[in-house]
Amino acid sequence: MSLAAEAFVSQIAASEPWPENATLYQPLRDNQILLSDCASSLAVQAYLRMCDLPLRVCCRANAEHMSPSGKVPFIHVGNQVVSELGPIIQFTKAKGHSLSDVLDDVQRAEMKAYMELMNNMLLTAELYIQWCDETTAAEITRPRYSSPYPWPLKHILAYQKQWEVRRKMSAVGWAEKTLEQVYEDVAQCCQALSQRLGTQMYFFNRQPTELDALVFGHLFTILTTQLTSNELSDKVKTYSNLLTFVHRIEQTYFEGLNQAGQSGAGPWAPPEV
Amino acid sequence: RTAIGWLCSPEQRKWLEYGWAQCYCLRTYYLQISTGTVPALHCEGHTVTEPAQILNFLRKQRYNADYELSAKQGADTLAYIALLEEKLRPALLHTFWVDTENYTNLTRPWFASRCPFPLNFFIPGRQARVALSLILLTKGESPLHSITEVEAKVYNEAKECLNLLSHRLGTSPYFFGKMPGSLDAFVFGYIAPLLKASLPSGPLKQHLNQLTNLCQFCDAVLKTYFDDDAPGSPPVSQDASVDANLQKLTQLVNKESNLIEKMDDNLRSSPQHKPRAPPARPTTLSSQKNSTPA
Repeated sequence: MSLAAEAFVSQIAASEPWPENATLYQPLRDNQILLSDCASSLAVQAYLRMCDLPLRVCCRANAEHMSPSGKVPFIHVGNQVVSELGPIIQFTKAKGHSLSDVLDDVQRAEMKAYMELMNNMLLTAELYIQWCDETTAAEITRPRYSSPYPWPLKHILAYQKQWEVRRKMSAVGWAEKTLEQVYEDVAQCCQALSQRLGTQMYFFNRQPTELDALVFGHLFTILTTQLTSNELSDKVKTYSNLLTFVHRIEQTYFEGLNQAGQSGAGPWAPPEV
Repeated sequence: RTAIGWLCSPEQRKWLEYGWAQCYCLRTYYLQISTGTVPALHCEGHTVTEPAQILNFLRKQRYNADYELSAKQGADTLAYIALLEEKLRPALLHTFWVDTENYTNLTRPWFASRCPFPLNFFIPGRQARVALSLILLTKGESPLHSITEVEAKVYNEAKECLNLLSHRLGTSPYFFGKMPGSLDAFVFGYIAPLLKASLPSGPLKQHLNQLTNLCQFCDAVLKTYFDDDAPGSPPVSQDASVDANLQKLTQLVNKESNLIEKMDDNLRSSPQHKPRAPPARPTTLSSQKNSTPA
């Protein structure tokens, strides 16, 4: 959002309490949603559950196009529509709900740094694997992304999205990377997260923060999604404290909510602990 | 080439060979400049680019500044580097390459003065285009339709990032205690050009000047590690068995580079050029800069 719009939304947001009918929009869960979108959506859901804010989840085929920034998920709260985790966190903060108020400045800096690490490495790796690896793109991503649309629109939209993502990858310097290098980066990121988490329950103190929500969203989705190879989830499974962490958050905040695997064919597989 | 050589006398043929070899050297040189990337480390026959790859290479050679760090501190290093790349780098690219005043008065003349003719016409423009496209692709998503809104967002995030770094540094000399690590090198690489380059328009620089602990950190690193300022000269081959042909070739190439230097000096002392930052220090700094290739 532009700065003026942000300030305006914050002012409006501060005046009203969180309504009961707040809704989160994401693409269709069974057939359409992709790994990266599912991870982002789950992160937002986890964050709002941690803040104890009621939320309905609504699946729409054109969620991406409804979103104000073109990215999913987005929430519809009262009169406002806010997309992506960062702006949603600021929006809830304006309404008086925040998980990171108890942190001091240094801890907040660390939290933001780790969230950027997740976005920089893990989310970009997910996008790379989905759209730049030709096998995955042809077998899983393009068919899923374009499943609600008729021919020939489905091919046009799928290739257009792939072209956009590849352009962004070359701008950030990921286009020249090989798949092995991407898996290495994922492993490095997971190692950093595991070392930071150590034996603690959450990343900061005994209370969860937005970083916990983000990490949970991505790791849970990686663990429960079937891709063309298991290498991505294997990288995460090497770190047992991350598995315990994911399982704990799932049990505390989701209580057996069925998150169907992305392949659509296999049963939902909970992470092994 | 063989046909012409056959028609010449042996003496003329020798000079022809020198000429071809010189052309080939210059061609390779131009190719490297126009397509290569910096920073690039040449060591024992290997060439490594990208700061992260260079650090990995040095670690494999057992040069590791992060040896004393705990596992958690190592993880923090990675996280902060990601923060720098996401939040600070677009703003730095904008300040040096997209902001019109800075680009026209500082960056373009500076880089053009270091590139051989005729690449000095192309390379700065290409870098500026690459910088703009990176900013627009990563930060300029809808509904930010105008470039001014993107700029506002980019600078806002960069200021927040600098504040976070300042909070993290606090009062200690380096980010992890008394000894510097790779995070200190990365942070220095990002903020030193911003602090020391004489930018005509620098809102980010003004913000950085207010964060006194970061400025002191930058000055301390400069004083400790960059004080013996030796402008790097390309390594001359000390091979004892160099034959006469190669010596002559080297002389020819040296003569050419002297000519270029003279032209450069003439250009600089021309009254149309505005005074720039002294070249020796920026050269060593630019070898540390993570963002823009020269």
